[in-house]
Amino acid sequence: MENTPDSQQDNSPLYTNPSTEPVSPEAATTGDPTEAPAVEPAPTEAFTSRTDLSHLSRHAEAIRQELGKVIVGQQSLAELLLTALLADGHVLLEGVPGVAKTLTAKLLARTLDVPFSRLQFTPDLMPSDVLGTSVFQPNKADFEFRPGPIFASIVLIDEINRAPAKTQSALFEVMEERQVTQDGTRYTVPEPFVVLATQNPIEQEGTYRLPEAQLDRFLFKLNVGYPTVEEEIGILQGHHAGFGGTPLEAVRTVLTANDLRGLREQVRRQHVEPKLLEYIARIVGQTRAHKGLYLGASPRASLALLNGAKALAALRGRDFVTPEDIHYLAAPVLRHRIQLTPEREMEGSTADDIVKQILQQIEVPR
Amino acid sequence: MKANTNACSLTDLRPPVPSVFPSVPAYLRYLLRLLTLGWLLAATPALAAPEPAAVQPVRHLPADRASNVTLRKPAPARLREFREQREFQYVAVKSEKSAWDLLMMRFWRWLGELLETPSGKIIWKYGIYAALLAAFIFVVLKLMQVDITRAFGRGTRRAPLSYDVDSEDIHALDFSTLLREAESAGNYRLAVRLGYLEVLKQLTDQGLIRWQPDKTNHDYLYELPPGPLPPAFRELTRQFDFVWYGEHDDLTPTHYAQARATREAFQHLLAAPRRAA
Repeated sequence: MENTPDSQQDNSPLYTNPSTEPVSPEAATTGDPTEAPAVEPAPTEAFTSRTDLSHLSRHAEAIRQELGKVIVGQQSLAELLLTALLADGHVLLEGVPGVAKTLTAKLLARTLDVPFSRLQFTPDLMPSDVLGTSVFQPNKADFEFRPGPIFASIVLIDEINRAPAKTQSALFEVMEERQVTQDGTRYTVPEPFVVLATQNPIEQEGTYRLPEAQLDRFLFKLNVGYPTVEEEIGILQGHHAGFGGTPLEAVRTVLTANDLRGLREQVRRQHVEPKLLEYIARIVGQTRAHKGLYLGASPRASLALLNGAKALAALRGRDFVTPEDIHYLAAPVLRHRIQLTPEREMEGSTADDIVKQILQQIEVPR
Repeated sequence: MKANTNACSLTDLRPPVPSVFPSVPAYLRYLLRLLTLGWLLAATPALAAPEPAAVQPVRHLPADRASNVTLRKPAPARLREFREQREFQYVAVKSEKSAWDLLMMRFWRWLGELLETPSGKIIWKYGIYAALLAAFIFVVLKLMQVDITRAFGRGTRRAPLSYDVDSEDIHALDFSTLLREAESAGNYRLAVRLGYLEVLKQLTDQGLIRWQPDKTNHDYLYELPPGPLPPAFRELTRQFDFVWYGEHDDLTPTHYAQARATREAFQHLLAAPRRAA
């Protein structure tokens, strides 16, 4: 499934299971590689996390298992969705129809014990249909605010690019500031607040391109591709055996709002080496100097890359960020925040190509 | 084709006109009609020519030589004011050629003279063909998206960075000295880092990995050939990551000894294939 920046990325070789293939140091010193398959002493206390991340790992694994009941494959997509959830960010899922974008988002919402609402964006949708509106109450002789579907913790916006810019602009304030201002009054949305939006590629008929300001508010843009042949066979087998697949009701709730708040606090306390902060700034800064880009990424992209890397490191069992995390998240964080020059677009380059080039130009701090 | 014998003239198709004097010959009837028409025209007053109007005589006015005529002249100050206005300055200012124009004129004149010579004519003739050929090749290469710059020995095309990248050349470092200094200073975190960089240098020297500053430790792990090296390097990398990126400045001598043992064991393993070879 081509939904990650690096499909060959190994998710857990270095940290989650360090004691695999143990080899005694004595065997290694014999000098014969056939006698000593590897030198790998058991991890000592100095080389383990200082923060207890077992609670986080347990919850993450439970969510993965619940998603896996219905979704075949898509492990990377699930990992990045969890990363966004822990990093307190919104996610934009892009892909052709029929690749389980909406289903994945719905399932993720089901695993969380928080208010959920779903919005189907259509060309005639108005901002008040999203945010809510003030209604006159004759018995009180006053206006009363009636909250719209945006007042939920997990908001699934399906086909977000079907609505024109006017309606999409209604999301600006609530996505960034977690509040809605109506008739001079501020209404706060519940905590946590995550927008999971899906969209079809903009080349398709009847869609509107999202404004740059709105795109910038999404932590990640994940491209959901077609499944592999093996995965598709798995989908067919599961569907055939269950005459319709596993029902959504089989997916359990495994995380409460309080749990999520605690996990996010843990993520915020992750260690980040100062040179890695510089590394992030250089990557994002280079998007503004690259000749092939018409629009570079904003400082919000730097923050997104930092927060995302911290969450990903926690999911991978570390209490510190490595350059691997930044590499892994560079494309999902930057691809929707940069714009290619017309010349580059005509040459057939994509935003991911440019991000890859930028990563090749900057030395990994070591 | 045979003519239609039944054809008749137009006069035959007209309805017969009843005549007043059926016995009078036709020419006399026409003459009578003409005379009647002439009498009618002469008798009608509206058709008669109008009488000319009476012509009034022209009256010439006498010349006025007694009135004192004053010649109006504009005030000199006003005239000066007008003259100073740009709209009334009709003298065209000659445009002077700039130094660049003169240079370009000389260049074109020189080029023209050069191309007029017999050898110049040959250059002109074949130069056009060469330029057309070069343009054609350029377009083809562009369409095929071929990076032409590589043909002249340049590596991957890289955009200029807007800042300096402090690249550390692992081949220029004296690791044994630096390691000794870091260990004696008790800077074990730095010692772990230097040890890891030394391993990367050794892997590069043996051709097991391709050192590039933009590669991550994970990339090097994937480059290693299958065998005992990858799991050992995995553990070494894990320790380095924990100590360096995890900011373990409080590494104790005991812990450092473990990290050093892991590194030395890996280096020993690395030397083994070379000895066998």
